[in-house]
Amino acid sequence: MIRRIARKELTEMIRDGRFRVLAAAVLGVSVLSLAVGWKQYADISRQHQVAQAATRSQWLHQTTKNPHSAAHYGVYAFKPKSPLAIVDTGVDPYMGVAVWLEAHKQNEFKYRPAADRTAVERFGEMTAAETLQVLVPLFIVLMTFSAFAGEREQGTLRQLLSLGVKPRDLALGKAAGVGAALGLILLPAALLGVAALALTSDGGFLSGSVWRTILLVLFYLAYFATFVAISLGVSARARSSRLALVLLLAFWFANSLIASRVAADVASWLHPTPSAVEFQKAMEADLNQPQEMERRLALRTAELMRQYRVDSPEALPIAMQGVSLQEGENHGDEVFDAHYGRLFDTFERQNTVYQVGGLAAPMLAIRSVSMGLAGTDFNQHRHFITAAEAYRRLIQRTMNDDIMAHPVKGGGTADAERRGPYVAGSELWAKVPPFEYEAPATSWVLANTRWSIAMLAVWLILASVWMSRPIATRAI
Amino acid sequence: MLEAVDLSKRYGSQTALDRLNLRISRGEVFCLLGANGAGKTTTINLFLNFIDPSSGTARINGLDVAKAPLETKKYVAYIPEQVMLYRNLTGLENLEYFTALAGHEYPRATYVDLFRQVGLAPGVEDQRVGTYSKGMRQKVGIAIAIAKKAAALLLDEPTSGLDPKASNEFSALLKRMSDQGVAVLMATHDLFRAKESGSRVGIMKHGRLVATLSTAEIGHADLERIYLEHMHD
Repeated sequence: MIRRIARKELTEMIRDGRFRVLAAAVLGVSVLSLAVGWKQYADISRQHQVAQAATRSQWLHQTTKNPHSAAHYGVYAFKPKSPLAIVDTGVDPYMGVAVWLEAHKQNEFKYRPAADRTAVERFGEMTAAETLQVLVPLFIVLMTFSAFAGEREQGTLRQLLSLGVKPRDLALGKAAGVGAALGLILLPAALLGVAALALTSDGGFLSGSVWRTILLVLFYLAYFATFVAISLGVSARARSSRLALVLLLAFWFANSLIASRVAADVASWLHPTPSAVEFQKAMEADLNQPQEMERRLALRTAELMRQYRVDSPEALPIAMQGVSLQEGENHGDEVFDAHYGRLFDTFERQNTVYQVGGLAAPMLAIRSVSMGLAGTDFNQHRHFITAAEAYRRLIQRTMNDDIMAHPVKGGGTADAERRGPYVAGSELWAKVPPFEYEAPATSWVLANTRWSIAMLAVWLILASVWMSRPIATRAI
Repeated sequence: MLEAVDLSKRYGSQTALDRLNLRISRGEVFCLLGANGAGKTTTINLFLNFIDPSSGTARINGLDVAKAPLETKKYVAYIPEQVMLYRNLTGLENLEYFTALAGHEYPRATYVDLFRQVGLAPGVEDQRVGTYSKGMRQKVGIAIAIAKKAAALLLDEPTSGLDPKASNEFSALLKRMSDQGVAVLMATHDLFRAKESGSRVGIMKHGRLVATLSTAEIGHADLERIYLEHMHD
């Protein structure tokens, strides 16, 4: 019976002019947003590959120089884009895509696509994720607001209920009909998306994103099912189809346009972050601690003297310049870890507030899950920052260890002055492995978005229960 | 087949139906006459379980409607003043849909034959219902009842607004169904149609069944006179 009802709903919808216009609009925007996402992904991935190869080549082909100069010469680390960024660009346009790794500093990310946009572009862009999160629910609302209320107004609901149709079957049939109609629109777009992903994946079909893709599809289906259930539930209870439409549009508006802003404001209010200037100033104050540097160096020197069983630093068989530089790095690392750690922890707490906000609006939940699975959320950005910073520290340690291992013989003498500082060549540069980043596992992503997944599940369950008990058999 | 035992419906202090006792057997056509608000539609709504009785029982085929709402609906077909169908579906698709929801499936030829049985012209079954007249929609309602193999018909002003020819055709269809053993409860304002189609007529006033008459024993003029007498009381 449910299948029969679904088939009739689908037939009616397809013959309805409203459906054809809306479906064409949704399909058009979906395909367009996927095409734009694919183009951006392909362009950026290609640029990254070229730039990453170039920065590696530049590092390896440096002229001979003091390793500390090489440390300042530095390298770029480019954040690889997940193929699913075609669907959801997430925070990438705002957080940057590359970082300059050099001595003494943990630099901020550069190249933020959002910063390059014109004011008009900011309003004009619609990613596939936004289409799915905002436009598709609007389509669902417009196609279902009269599902029950309209039938009640037309009198067909009396006719149906007089046949002994169970209201639950009627609701499920209507939901299945809307689902089938949605499938007709989104399936071509989804197939195009998968084809685009397959074309752009270097490591084979979807290159390890299969599970993420499947989960992304399933979570979006859950989000759409929630909207279908809410819409049918409201339509069944509203006194008129006009009232149902007003209520559902209000919900859509609050969910799509207001909730995100309110959640972000609440998160910032509960967990405030310092301004960029304040942050920088506080970090520099902690970095510029000459006494702390002297203390650390004295401790390290004493430790080395004990280790080498010598009575004075001059007697050490290593270059103190390297020791001093590494101690400077260690001090900086501690300061960076403390300041960036606090900042990023605050961001994550804000993110948790945002995720829990999914209880008030399902879009907040699907947005977090979507960005997570697309590999473009803040958690994965932090994961990359951590990996890039670890690589920076590896470079510094490699350079400083090499300086330590090459003390200038007769340091301070005229002979040593004439020979100049120690210089290294390509053999040392090659000791630094190329930067290779491995994105976190899907299970890691799911753990980080557990609150959003839970909120989405709560919405789906409550909305389904509400929908499946839409009307008493006699409620006319 | 259809039975009301002390069936009452009250809305606050207002009584819409007052202790109705009624029994309609198979093959019998019972017409409820009465002014607007007399309780005719309330009676039908109670048999369909669209509303709960305040007291008393409505039974279909011996089953209490309030206790077995889905089971009792298997035995009845409902034809309202305006049979509402889905405008974007063809007549045949509507018939097929409503019949399927009532638990029956037939080949297309059977549905086409049902269209002929109720007097709809060849070809109309494939036209969208948006193009149908009210009379045609009422006939589709009868076709649904036949396809459903309903043992009882609940009709609420089914001929209201139909032209005399369409009304007459509708009555003929009812007669044919009652001849096949279907019990019919029809609420109507139409005294002529009640006399023509009904086996018995009941006159309702202020929620009460004030008179029950056998149409075989009275003429058209008598029915009109008795009806008006009750209305003027």
